[in-house]
Amino acid sequence: MTADERQARLAAFMTERFGVEADPWPDGGPIVPVEQHVALAAALQAELGYTLYVYCVASHWPDETPKGGDLIPEHYEVATGLRSVGAGSHVAMWRVSVPVGAGVPTLADLFAGADWQEREQYDLVGVVFDDHPDLRRLMLPEEWVGHPLRKDYAIETGHLPWR
Amino acid sequence: MAVDDPGRSYSHPLFDTLERFPGLDLATTTADKLLNWGARNSLWIFPMATSCCGIEFMASAASRVDFDRMGSFTRATPRQADVMVVAGTITVKMAPRVKRLWDQMPEPKWCVAMGSCAISGDFYRDIYSVIPGIDTVIPVDVYVPGCPPNPEALMAGLLVLQEKIALKTAGLKTVPAGRPETAKMISPRIKRVGHPDRMPEIDAAQCAQAMSLDLTEPPDLLAAFTAAQAAAKAAREAAEAAAADAAAADEKGGEA
Repeated sequence: MTADERQARLAAFMTERFGVEADPWPDGGPIVPVEQHVALAAALQAELGYTLYVYCVASHWPDETPKGGDLIPEHYEVATGLRSVGAGSHVAMWRVSVPVGAGVPTLADLFAGADWQEREQYDLVGVVFDDHPDLRRLMLPEEWVGHPLRKDYAIETGHLPWR
Repeated sequence: MAVDDPGRSYSHPLFDTLERFPGLDLATTTADKLLNWGARNSLWIFPMATSCCGIEFMASAASRVDFDRMGSFTRATPRQADVMVVAGTITVKMAPRVKRLWDQMPEPKWCVAMGSCAISGDFYRDIYSVIPGIDTVIPVDVYVPGCPPNPEALMAGLLVLQEKIALKTAGLKTVPAGRPETAKMISPRIKRVGHPDRMPEIDAAQCAQAMSLDLTEPPDLLAAFTAAQAAAKAAREAAEAAAADAAAADEKGGEA
């Protein structure tokens, strides 16, 4: 199976099983409803062999009104990547979008590797992962206030008595 | 605290006695010379290597430059080291650990800030988690600029440190390590250790957090710090206004 065929199989799988618009394939992967996040990951793991958890990247999007468009309210976007292992390895990626204050269901029950990745995203961006086994800060000191990779966090914020 | 006046970075019981009793130096000068000769030719280094400067540090210990031949070699414990080489970016989470390790080193001790991150934070200095220069936490004797400095530069820094110790033996007051030109342009919010404007509350809070490793920002410290900053700004503006007035008066006097 060539890389293009694997990609086509993935897109067809997502469209048929989860009704996701995946043609043409968007940059960063298609946007999946947050209720199907865990089901999609489980199906990819069990049926298509995407067994390796590669990445989880969250980003914060403040209120924004594009030119001539409607207001896009503040939200988080969480991108997830899974890889199949062995010959013909391929990455499956998708995104979920949640409003600020709502949680994203955790994948730590399916993939042990998701544990720390989700903790990191919680620490830096502030996305809450529902039912995560141990959602503590990973990189910053535990007493830290705020989530520095949010767009409303001033980069030069001080922290007495150190800076 | 190792620093009791800005001109020196370490306390030495023998020197303290000598300075208190003039004339006594005749009796002890030979022994002291010997002690310091030993000290400066066996500078054991505790490498506080956190990033790429650490790689250059390793290269300095390897065969091409090889600081072993001047008696410097690395000890992975602060208890048997004389020099702390801070090689790399120090973050808010790391700084209390660095201070704690520094406080565990026996006197006399010296610190070398290796590379622009340790000197000033370099281009990371404005980031929420980075210390803008390790001299805001521990006193620095020698600055070795570079990004990263090559092994020869670190070697030169160690030779400068030896020279500094020799000057001290000769009874000459050593010149405090000047911050490099690039670092002078950057004035960190928190003054460096030994700076006359440094708030003693900052020292106390840094010591307390290095002991407890609880990095909660003390709210009363924030209030005191903000007030001190505002007072300093007001004083600076008043001085500038006075200088401008004086200049204007001079001009008028010239015209008349």
